[in-house]
Amino acid sequence: MSEFEPQVLAFACHYCAYAAADLAGSMRLSYPPNVKVLHLPCTGKVDVLYLLRAFEKGADAVFVAG
Amino acid sequence: MNYTKKLLAETGLEPERLEMFFLSSAEGVRFAEIATEMTERARKLGPNPLKNGKAIEQPMEAEE
Amino acid sequence: MIVAEQKPLEEIKSMIADARKVLVLGCGTCVTVCFAGGEKEVSILASQLRMATRLDGQEKEIRELTVQRQCEYEYNELAADHVRDADMVISLACGIGVQTMNEQYPEKLTVPGLNTSGLSQPTEQGVWEERCQACGNCVLHLTGGLCPVARCAKSLLNGPCGGSQRGICEVYAERETPCVWDQIYHRLKDLGQLDKLLEIEPAKNWHTSRDGGQRKIVREDLRL
Repeated sequence: MSEFEPQVLAFACHYCAYAAADLAGSMRLSYPPNVKVLHLPCTGKVDVLYLLRAFEKGADAVFVAG
Repeated sequence: MNYTKKLLAETGLEPERLEMFFLSSAEGVRFAEIATEMTERARKLGPNPLKNGKAIEQPMEAEE
Repeated sequence: MIVAEQKPLEEIKSMIADARKVLVLGCGTCVTVCFAGGEKEVSILASQLRMATRLDGQEKEIRELTVQRQCEYEYNELAADHVRDADMVISLACGIGVQTMNEQYPEKLTVPGLNTSGLSQPTEQGVWEERCQACGNCVLHLTGGLCPVARCAKSLLNGPCGGSQRGICEVYAERETPCVWDQIYHRLKDLGQLDKLLEIEPAKNWHTSRDGGQRKIVREDLRL
């Protein structure tokens, strides 16, 4: 298990969380490299199927931020 | 969100693997916190049992 | 419209236990508009089944398809290739669709993924209330346009029973379902047709309903 590096998927709204993630970057904050950020025009674009597909494809955790 | 969590539970996956957060564009710090929290949560829950990606499974097999 | 609800995932899983390749077949008509068996619900169920069967260690190949109307052969013909490739079909249609599929593709078993629950009206977002029981002998002209067959718990035809209290039916535990006979009274009063209630409605002829078995309509003018 020590080798387990989780793959976390973030669905981020262009105007809120994506900008926040961008800011986190420009502030040189460090956060785990396990998180991959997916850019959405708005969290309203999130669909049940996107989330299910993410798990189907093997994501260990998924979060929606907006 | 709750509906999807219910679907996951019904399917046999931990609903805690999914979460929704609200934050503004000014909350860079909060984003980093959330990213850490979700990574930690995934670490605790262990790998998604559906994963068949070689990158993850091979080292685990090597371990056994 | 015809409304239906999805069966529990466990039940669906047990129905397809012996199959390896499964086709989830939706219907683009009634069950699409009541969010039970349209393209989206097909994708969600297929995704759940792919994950759940993999978790159970007996991964299945789950395909998805939605036809425009599963109760008609012409539409289901478009699914022929998919059906041929599958060991079993889960139909997300009403009971008519499931039976049409079984008739049309007798070599493959089509199992129901939905429970068909009635002829209902969407009264608000996410709520469907039964309005018609297809009794085959409509009385809506006598009752101010409110159906006592479908909406009275006892299908009474000559006014309310003693369980109608302050406009609420006694049958439902939550005590919030209106007594349709109370509603009929108020509607007829508003229309100035209360005299209609003085007419005694004789025992209903149920032979147009379920009495005598399956019903069949034959229109000679339409037949080829």
